[in-house]
Amino acid sequence: MEKAKISAYQLFVLIVLFELGSAMLIPLAIEAKQDAWLAILIGMAAGFCLFLVYYSLYAYYPDTPPTDYAQKIMGTVLGRMIAFLYVLYFVYLSARVVRDFGEMLVIVFYPETPLFIMNALMVLVAVYTVRKGIEVLARTGELLFVLVSLLAISGLFLIVVAGIIEISNLQPVLEEGMKPVIKTAFTQTLYFPFGEIVVFMMILPYLNQPKKAKRTGLLALGISGVTLALIMALNTSVLGVATVERSLFPLLSTIQAIEVAGFLERLDVSFMVASVIGGFFKITLFFYVSVAGTASLFKIKEPTQLAYPLGVVILLLSMMIASNFTEHLQEGVDIVPLYVHFPFQVMIPVILLIIAFFKKGKQNDQAINK
Amino acid sequence: MNKLNRKAMFLFFIMISTVFISGCWSQKELNELAIISAMAIDKNEDGKYVKTIQFVNPGNVAGGLQGGGGGQGPAVTVYTATGDTILEAHINASAKVSRRLYHAHANLLVISEEVAREEGIDGIIDAFERDPEVRTESKIVIARDAKAGDIVKSLTSIDKVPSEKVNKTLLVTERARGENIVVSIQDFISVSASLGREPVISGFRIKGEPEKGKKMENVQQSELDATLEASGLAVFKEEKLIDWYEGDLAKGTMWILDKIQQTDVKVSWKGKKNAVVYNVIRQKTNVSADTKNTYPEMTIHVRAEGDIRELTTPVDITDPAVISDLEKEIEKEIKKQLEKAVTRTQKNNSDIFGFGEVVHRTDPEKWKKMKRDWDDEYFPYVNVNVKVDAFIRRTGLRTNSFHSNTEK
Repeated sequence: MEKAKISAYQLFVLIVLFELGSAMLIPLAIEAKQDAWLAILIGMAAGFCLFLVYYSLYAYYPDTPPTDYAQKIMGTVLGRMIAFLYVLYFVYLSARVVRDFGEMLVIVFYPETPLFIMNALMVLVAVYTVRKGIEVLARTGELLFVLVSLLAISGLFLIVVAGIIEISNLQPVLEEGMKPVIKTAFTQTLYFPFGEIVVFMMILPYLNQPKKAKRTGLLALGISGVTLALIMALNTSVLGVATVERSLFPLLSTIQAIEVAGFLERLDVSFMVASVIGGFFKITLFFYVSVAGTASLFKIKEPTQLAYPLGVVILLLSMMIASNFTEHLQEGVDIVPLYVHFPFQVMIPVILLIIAFFKKGKQNDQAINK
Repeated sequence: MNKLNRKAMFLFFIMISTVFISGCWSQKELNELAIISAMAIDKNEDGKYVKTIQFVNPGNVAGGLQGGGGGQGPAVTVYTATGDTILEAHINASAKVSRRLYHAHANLLVISEEVAREEGIDGIIDAFERDPEVRTESKIVIARDAKAGDIVKSLTSIDKVPSEKVNKTLLVTERARGENIVVSIQDFISVSASLGREPVISGFRIKGEPEKGKKMENVQQSELDATLEASGLAVFKEEKLIDWYEGDLAKGTMWILDKIQQTDVKVSWKGKKNAVVYNVIRQKTNVSADTKNTYPEMTIHVRAEGDIRELTTPVDITDPAVISDLEKEIEKEIKKQLEKAVTRTQKNNSDIFGFGEVVHRTDPEKWKKMKRDWDDEYFPYVNVNVKVDAFIRRTGLRTNSFHSNTEK
């Protein structure tokens, strides 16, 4: 673990940017049709529970990353295996996000540029940031969060002013009853994006005021959940469900639909800026925890040395995980949530928490408050 | 030494990165681009698509009024190319144009009536929606009684770029008259994809001689030989054009679609036709459905506000009782327009009003049974009630007309 501290506000900013990252680009929870926003909110509520699980583990071991305390809880051998699997998980997710954003940039903005170049540039920036450490990343977050918020607020304002919102597109609410909404929430939105907050298990030990961890985490999750639900509600009301379903990046189409006063139009670039910022944080955070996890697992003194080799791994993995974008999306919807996210976000943390509870008893907040 | 080395390395990387990260991968200078302003799709005798592409001649657009600058030639140049698909025709066009075809400023797509009638336009639209360079906010119009190509070939005055002229005309007439509707590619797609609604698109025709419209002389006179004119609403059913609505029919449709912003309503008074002209300033139309019975019952509720703008006979409009009588007449007249549109549309079996969507919103359960054959089995038999509330708010600068005085 590097010697660094981040403030509660910085943690908040990182979580929000991370959660919005790729989730705001895609037609999130569209299986629930016009009730996608509801599925997102339910996913968020369930995400709160997951965060509380991670938080409780953190409360037991406030100074050590999970790659270490997994060994304390499960014993060295099993614990190391789990820690190693987590590192692989983070590396894989990092590669997935790199691919997501590379594809997005190629499809929308740079049709003639090879995907590899896009991915390489993004990984390069991530490597640079990871070498600088978590504090730098957090400060970058503080700075860019202001920009993203401004873009979001002005975007919302322009969409309202442009008069393109058709609330009737959101009706009928609960057309098929609660079932598809609940199903979408628990097979998709819970894991992506809310459950991905599992990476912050590795970041929480850096927090300088451990007392604030719970409140900050829940608040950040809540704000990102509401934002995502709002984004999907806007997409649906502007474009209609049918178009959102067929869009790869509905938010882009929504922004393109803005035409105010004959000159405030073609605002695609604001979409690009916001998405690249979000993508950068998502990639870098996954990347950072992979590096930190590897370092703590293999007792490497200078974690930053791992940035380049792991960067190469992520870059190559991002190119290899799928042969085309359709395959990449299909994996993301059908395979990853159930077979990858579920064990790592729910099963393992819950098992760890139960064992930790029996080992350490009910001392939860004491460790933090002392 | 070491320090110097590091500095040198740093400088070297900075210089290298100017080459690699400045984003020149697929850079195109402005003089390498042919900026498309409009596209038109026709079909020729061999069944191939003919794509007519209108390019802006930047030098000839700018500055007629600002003195100098504006060139002598036409503001646009047009090329045509053929192909079995839209994309092929587009690529074939590159054999004729010396620059890369640049789509991002195209804002008009014209489709010929023939293509729209015979094969529908859904197949054409996909290519435009898929391409990230094409703006789906581009407007669509149907070339009525004309080749789509001729519409984009005609030169126009006031707005020199014909695509601009068509778009602005549409916008202005939608606002002022309410017989035409502005439809973008995006709008068309979202309506077309919905089961409970069919699309309408405005028509454009050439008034005059299309051949003369292509010449510069066309715009060097006060009355053009060929003028582009918004004309009617094209009604679609299952992606094919089946009918044209004009006049009251078009207005009635626009009322139901809640798209009327301003329009005039003429009513008779004491047996005299067109005695009073009422100008709608704002209105709100609500459509609701009652799904108790097998066939849903629709209620259209219009609430219009406006002014009296013309009296062709003496009417004592200082009398509130007369005003409220006039309001009733206006309500009747608007109701007539709406009912006319409803009758014709039900005969066409094409739900352009989106009644299906309203039923869907009101009663999702029942809609599930109806949605597959809504247009043919249910929509024509729907009972439609029209309720109009019209309000006269003001009468312009004068009260009674001056011919009230001369009457005596």
